[in-house]
Amino acid sequence: MPKCKINGKEVDVPQGTTIIEAFKASGQEIAHYCWHPGLSVAGVCRLCMVQIEGQPKLQIACNTEVKEGMVINNNSETVKDTVRWGLDFHLINHPLDCPICDQAGECGLQEQYMQFGKYDPEMAEHKVKKCKVVDLGPTVVLDSERCILCSRCVRFTDEVSKTHELGIFERGDRSEIGTFDGKPLNNKYSLNTVDICPVGALTSKDFRFRQRVWYLKEHNTICTGCSTGCNVKVYYNEEGCWRVKPRYNPDINGYWMCDEGRDIYKFINKKNRLQEITMTEKGVSKVFQAEELLPQLGLELKNAVQKNPESVALILTGQYSCEEYQSLLNLMVKSWGLKNVFHWVNHPESMEQFDGLLLRGDKNPNTKGLLNELDLLSLTQTWKDLEEKLHRNLIKHLIVAGPENLATFSDVKEKLKLFSSANKLIWLSAGIFEGVSSVCSQVVQIPTKTFFEKEGSYINHKGMKQRVTPGVEIVKSALSLCEFVEGLHHDNKGAHFQDMDSALVDTKLKEPLKENFFTATRGSL
Amino acid sequence: MAEANIQNKNNLFQLSPEGKEFVQGELSRYENKYSAIIPCLYRCQKENQGWVSPACIRYLSQIMEIPEAHIWEVAKFYTMFNKEPVGRLHIQVCCNISCALNGGRELADHLCQTYSLNAGEVSSDGMLTISRVECLGSCGTAPMMQINESYHENLNPEKAEQIINELRAKYGS
Repeated sequence: MPKCKINGKEVDVPQGTTIIEAFKASGQEIAHYCWHPGLSVAGVCRLCMVQIEGQPKLQIACNTEVKEGMVINNNSETVKDTVRWGLDFHLINHPLDCPICDQAGECGLQEQYMQFGKYDPEMAEHKVKKCKVVDLGPTVVLDSERCILCSRCVRFTDEVSKTHELGIFERGDRSEIGTFDGKPLNNKYSLNTVDICPVGALTSKDFRFRQRVWYLKEHNTICTGCSTGCNVKVYYNEEGCWRVKPRYNPDINGYWMCDEGRDIYKFINKKNRLQEITMTEKGVSKVFQAEELLPQLGLELKNAVQKNPESVALILTGQYSCEEYQSLLNLMVKSWGLKNVFHWVNHPESMEQFDGLLLRGDKNPNTKGLLNELDLLSLTQTWKDLEEKLHRNLIKHLIVAGPENLATFSDVKEKLKLFSSANKLIWLSAGIFEGVSSVCSQVVQIPTKTFFEKEGSYINHKGMKQRVTPGVEIVKSALSLCEFVEGLHHDNKGAHFQDMDSALVDTKLKEPLKENFFTATRGSL
Repeated sequence: MAEANIQNKNNLFQLSPEGKEFVQGELSRYENKYSAIIPCLYRCQKENQGWVSPACIRYLSQIMEIPEAHIWEVAKFYTMFNKEPVGRLHIQVCCNISCALNGGRELADHLCQTYSLNAGEVSSDGMLTISRVECLGSCGTAPMMQINESYHENLNPEKAEQIINELRAKYGS
């Protein structure tokens, strides 16, 4: 464990630690762009310069190991002057138009400039003009002029996605990031290049020029797109959610996440959501308040189960939290005596698939949690059993805790057809699916809260339990399954069970969710 | 020829059996196979009418097992790899310091004018391309030019024209 001194502070680090890592460990700031903790060392930006006592020249902190007794600083005038000049050289060809850059507000270069900028540039040379809108592929756009050639994105496609699409072509001040012969940057992890781009060179087609980042709030949660459970933050404002980015977790996703997972903000936005509790009978739909409908529904179901347990069935998807499964099963199985509980698997053929990095074929966040709960109660009926019972018209009442993220359920239509032999369908889902209301002679649709609006825990593929907390309230009348259960056995009309999670919510969304005018008019591909 | 070359742009490319053997030899020569990229690109350029086409890169990527982007990085970095088709006679006139002092730049302009070509352009008969290049390492014999793989030194405009006309007659037939 070599000991060193950084800006006068004693630091103890493991053998092999680089100086830049020691800076991070000791909580001190150091200028850098090209270095990224999840990638190899390139040493090309020359900004992490430090002075080491006894060494005549400055060294780069990212590629120098800490040795016993080193005395290091980055606050001497020599270092500051070097960083200032280094930064000025980076800015020779970089446009100075931060106000119209999409990266403004979260730009490494901008932040460095505030701290180390010369503020009085001495460059007389004209800037080299390059292409401003390069369509790199289905997800990413490149502005070559903003690129400072740190090579993070190139190293990402070489080392992490291993797809090798990107390279640095030409040389000197004509150097540019690009792909070979127009081949698109098209891999399942391509948007990570946007995250690690320290400037506004790589931008996401989905997010660019939609929002100013300083107006967005972030909420830490997990991705529910598959059973990996990557740690993410969702960025939102009063109009809704706008983007998802990964959060570092060495045990699950490291620094990265897949492109598919970045779309999960879409299904939680209001325009894609089921809004009201409705009951449809003979083609006529009526909107209900939870307080009026649920106690009566609870009584009806309870009587049905107790009269004939075979006539009621509960279908669960792997989309909900452990707590929700527990409370639903507690009520229906333990206290009512329900026997018919089934697991709806959305992708049986690809459940076990894994792409070797993060993406899993099981497109549910909590299959493991659901299976645990079913095991505990020895509920072992299979989907085949359900099909048989439905065909024999044994089941009259069907309660379906359906998909939260409809995009990952390609089989809804087919399943609804199967359900149509029941008399009454109670359909819980966050999203809108055409035709649900006409499946059975009586259909109750109940909007559910998404992972972004409730508290609960999810167990990922390797058995790690992760907790989420509510970020915002998006659909006012949506219920978590816990709240649904609370409502079912509530005798007390008008009781306030619906806002269990809402006390934790800090922002409520304003209406309506409007499209950003500038998205359509700014720039073209 | 130039047209044939341009058509070739999207076609498949393959090295000759000797060329393939050469690539295998280069791959085993170096500790790191990336070191073999330059000689292999040269070989492709030679066997592909003097330029490195995207098809060449794809082919090399396959047989060398190196991503296309990384071979393309090398090809784009070095100016001695032609990324566009060139004429059968690729005339590279040195315009760097020693040649420039001895009239190299004027020589390049003169040749362009004589043959009505812009620098880098292929003549309509596919015979000529004139390029201005940096130092070719023959400063003692300035001004000089390189035609395909041979040097022609101590030039003046008349001498250069004469050499080109002779070669054109020889290759044109």
